[in-house]
Amino acid sequence: MIPLMLVLGFRTYKRRGFRLWIPLFLVWLLLLPLVLVLLPFAFLGLALMRVNPFRALLTGWQIFTGLKGTHIEVEDGNALVWIRIY
Amino acid sequence: MNEERRRILEMLSTGKITTEEADRLLLALGSQQVSGSAATSSEPVVKAPPRYLRVMVEDHSDESNGGHTQVNIRVPMQLLRAGVRLAGLIPAQAQIRVNEALQEQGINFDLSHLKPENLEELVNQLSDLTVDVDDHDTKVRVFCE
Repeated sequence: MIPLMLVLGFRTYKRRGFRLWIPLFLVWLLLLPLVLVLLPFAFLGLALMRVNPFRALLTGWQIFTGLKGTHIEVEDGNALVWIRIY
Repeated sequence: MNEERRRILEMLSTGKITTEEADRLLLALGSQQVSGSAATSSEPVVKAPPRYLRVMVEDHSDESNGGHTQVNIRVPMQLLRAGVRLAGLIPAQAQIRVNEALQEQGINFDLSHLKPENLEELVNQLSDLTVDVDDHDTKVRVFCE
């Protein structure tokens, strides 16, 4: 399953902050035509580098789908920033 | 309430451990009890494969300047699997250079030995992995969940 939503959060020590919900499924829809246009060039480039393009694209897809569930949180005592991918 | 559970909660209430540590200890205690009861019932326990790799870093070295730094990262195992497959795509010439760079850093590891077919075994072994590094000011914990 591809990542559908990205949440970017920020909170200061005084509890002021925001949470930004980015609908990734809309971003993917917008990027899809561009990906389709660039795909032949990617195949060509990978073939020139003697890398199996099908295997490379499959791995790329697995990385893309594997992003779902990623959670990164950094706090420095004054502020907290976090990114979650759903 | 049994004795171990009571001790964990007491340590939490006195501030000796954090809520996350208490949570992990209680979970570990629960799994021990489950495996213990399974052992008595002579049924094999099927351990669920880990889904995430967690890296937690706490740095208290900068507390004099207003606080500590805390990093909490959760990486899906699927992403790690894909990363290993990506390593398999690295051209041979680049692999040699990477191996040389690793050896310069004192890491004797050959990237070509990292094969996708050994991946599941590696991931299954990771479920038992817990790395705790406690320095005076810094604490690093790596575990799977």
